[in-house]
Amino acid sequence: MNHLSKFTVTAIFSITALSVNAQNLLHKIPADAKAVITLKGGNLTQLMSVKEFNNTFAGKKIVEQLAKSAKGNFKTIEDFGFDLSSDFYYYNQSNDSVSYNCVLAPVKDAAQIDELFKQAQKKFTTTDKIRSFYNHDSTEVILWNNKMFLFVKSDGKESYFSRPEVSKRLGLPAPTDFGLKDSITTVNPMTDEDPDADYSVAADAVVTGTEQPHAEEPRQVKKKKHTVRKQQKGHSKISGKKYKRKKHAKRKTVKRIVVDEEVQPEETYATSDSTGYTEEIDTALVHANERIRKIKNAAVLSWTREMIAGSFTKTSHTSILNNKDFVKSIDDKAELTAWIPSTEQSMLALIPQTIFKGVNIFKGYGSANVKFYLGKDAIRIGSSLTLSDEMGSAFTRINKRKVNKKFLNYMNEDKLTGYMAYAMDSKAYLQEYPKLMNKMYGSVYSDELNMATDLFALLLDEEAVSKVIKGDGLFIFNGLTPKEVTYKTYEYNEDNFEKDTVTKTKKETMPDFLFMASTEDTRLLHKLIAYGVKKKVVTAMHSYYELITPKNPLPVYFAIHNDIIFIGSNANEIEQIVQNKYQAKLSSRHKNEILKNNLTVYFSSKKMVGKIPAGELASVEKLEKTNKILNSLGDIYIKSGPVKGNVFSGEMRMDIPAKEQNALKYLFSIIEDVEK
Amino acid sequence: MQNKTLSYLLLLLTTCFFSSCFQIIEEINMTGNGSGTVDLTVNLSASKTKVASIMLLDSINGYKVPDKQTIQKEMDEVVAHLKNSRGISNVKKKVDFQNYIVSVSFAFENISNINNINQSVLKKLKINTTSNSSYLYNVAGGTFQRNYTHTKEAVTQYNKLKPEVKNIFKEATYTSIYRFDKPVITSANPLAKISKTRKAVLLNTGIPGLINGKTNISNKITLSK
Repeated sequence: MNHLSKFTVTAIFSITALSVNAQNLLHKIPADAKAVITLKGGNLTQLMSVKEFNNTFAGKKIVEQLAKSAKGNFKTIEDFGFDLSSDFYYYNQSNDSVSYNCVLAPVKDAAQIDELFKQAQKKFTTTDKIRSFYNHDSTEVILWNNKMFLFVKSDGKESYFSRPEVSKRLGLPAPTDFGLKDSITTVNPMTDEDPDADYSVAADAVVTGTEQPHAEEPRQVKKKKHTVRKQQKGHSKISGKKYKRKKHAKRKTVKRIVVDEEVQPEETYATSDSTGYTEEIDTALVHANERIRKIKNAAVLSWTREMIAGSFTKTSHTSILNNKDFVKSIDDKAELTAWIPSTEQSMLALIPQTIFKGVNIFKGYGSANVKFYLGKDAIRIGSSLTLSDEMGSAFTRINKRKVNKKFLNYMNEDKLTGYMAYAMDSKAYLQEYPKLMNKMYGSVYSDELNMATDLFALLLDEEAVSKVIKGDGLFIFNGLTPKEVTYKTYEYNEDNFEKDTVTKTKKETMPDFLFMASTEDTRLLHKLIAYGVKKKVVTAMHSYYELITPKNPLPVYFAIHNDIIFIGSNANEIEQIVQNKYQAKLSSRHKNEILKNNLTVYFSSKKMVGKIPAGELASVEKLEKTNKILNSLGDIYIKSGPVKGNVFSGEMRMDIPAKEQNALKYLFSIIEDVEK
Repeated sequence: MQNKTLSYLLLLLTTCFFSSCFQIIEEINMTGNGSGTVDLTVNLSASKTKVASIMLLDSINGYKVPDKQTIQKEMDEVVAHLKNSRGISNVKKKVDFQNYIVSVSFAFENISNINNINQSVLKKLKINTTSNSSYLYNVAGGTFQRNYTHTKEAVTQYNKLKPEVKNIFKEATYTSIYRFDKPVITSANPLAKISKTRKAVLLNTGIPGLINGKTNISNKITLSK
């Protein structure tokens, strides 16, 4: 082989090796991960070097904090030994018994990490170049070598440990009810002879509820809540165990102290002072809690060991890269990506089921991801949600309608500060709504729902309703404008200071808005208006109407014109619209977004600068700071488009000012502005 | 759904952007024998936009917003309280929900009947004055006295409020008017003005001064015999 081809081959190999290396860590994430967050260090360091980061306001604070907790000579984030130009991951793996929260990081220099631990006086062991560290109760495990760093925090699930077959197998006290009874009885004192020997007897006696502890004989028990409560609120009498006590205090509130009067008749403490009493109870409880915790931790540790076994040495064939949906979500341009395989499952896991009482409002929501992009001229957050076929087709039907093109004739981008445009097909919505409700509540309320659905269909003519309110709307916020308002005050005549009520006017800064909605059938609306006039809540002006209810803080005017209902706070504007004299002005960017998407939101904070009245904020400095921040924020756009291939996606974007180098540096400068 | 979002959006905007100020007016009309009438008015009309927006909410800044019925009920309680007070009669109330003005009027046999009454009425209207006022009318001597002592409690309570709430008091004013059937010879308080007919004394001051104790509204008025 000549030199050139040798070189080419080496190059190809090293490139492949590099990409394999970069992908190596992804390979380490298990296929059944319940959430994965990817942070692209390389993308971030390209936007801002570590040196620049260290010089920013936020950067300095972060390094300060890290240096404090690391207790070593660490000056910058580079000193910690991680490869900041590569990708960092967080993932969660869980089953019915335990949840693991893991952080996977690429290592640049393992020796620096070793140093970190040594300086913090945290002991770790090394086997075959793999270092391992376990925290005091082994709920946190850290492993690293010169390639990767894995942090695992394990949390055993109470719901698993409280299963009768599990608690029996592990020798845990049986789960108790949540009620506390009021009767106060004497307490079973602890004898000091042999604390360990007492555990199985006294500990269970003080901890268990009415159900018998598995290891003990049945006893006559009375309940006492008095001391338990006192114990939680009081100060820890055993200072060393303060941390653990606090941890268990929450659990303890639901357990009763069960007192046994009959088993130990030699109650020397029955009538002595209560402080001695509570101290005995404290010790007993602490020891009991300690024992339970040790059992649970041992179980969790054994599972954790199994979970991490071979994570450094084994090359697994099944990893998250086998998940097509995850692989599709990988985006090298996104600085941060968060992905979950099933929204329905994640929500159900996070939110206790009892809240929803069997109603599954997340049914049909599949995988989701959120991506964070820091580009040259904008910060973008993109999100997408995969729906089940059923939900997907329902949403497609509902999102069929687009915003009425005629709305654009009543928008002036020089005037407006922000707008929100939405479009949905109200006929489809009314048709799909009962079906959606059925899916969510069907399992619990199927009979009631069937009747309700039929009633709904019977009473509602979706076609007719959709003609009155078509389902699209556009709300325009025209900023704050000073308006004249009247108010009553008093004048006192010079003669005898008699009080005269007079009406005066003053200028008040009020929000100006205009709302539009499409309509085809205006018969009902006109009837409503006529009724309103009759009842004197509506005043007919020559080309529009004014809504006058005392409850209204703002004056509201409305009109129906060109198959559109207009409601606004500016009478002149409504008049111009009705007389076809409105001056519209809208760039194609806005036009395209509004007409293409089902939801479009725009807001220009710059236009708010100087509009907030001085009296509103507590101080002049606060007002100045608010104006400064508003001025430094770019225009914000939010949009969400129609469902494509069962994927529902949305995006939020903020333009960054031209003078900024890139989005990351811009973000840091905003943080600085806010913090200072 | 869209209407709810729209109205919520509007409410958010309106409650943020209005300044507020209110007036408390206290009028006392004295007759020669020591009896008289009192008229207490709280006028929120200058902030009616803000008040109207707040009335649409359930609570604001951590305080619960009363609805119209609750306000009417509380006003009725004020009236009942006054009717039960010694020497007080002819109690009337007026509540104007269009302009947000509330007033209470009553007659008294002796000015000492009203010592602390005004305070307790204002308290029922949720205006904590935490100051002490006592009135004295010496028929023989021809003197009318209002003794006002400010308590530090007012400052402490005020300082506990959030800045947005403190703002409400910035432009609030207090006006007291005392009218007599005999001409006034002297009025001790330099802030007080005497009317053309010399039969009335008016004192107008900002409420912040009353809160921080810088303004003293005590007065000793000497009437001609």
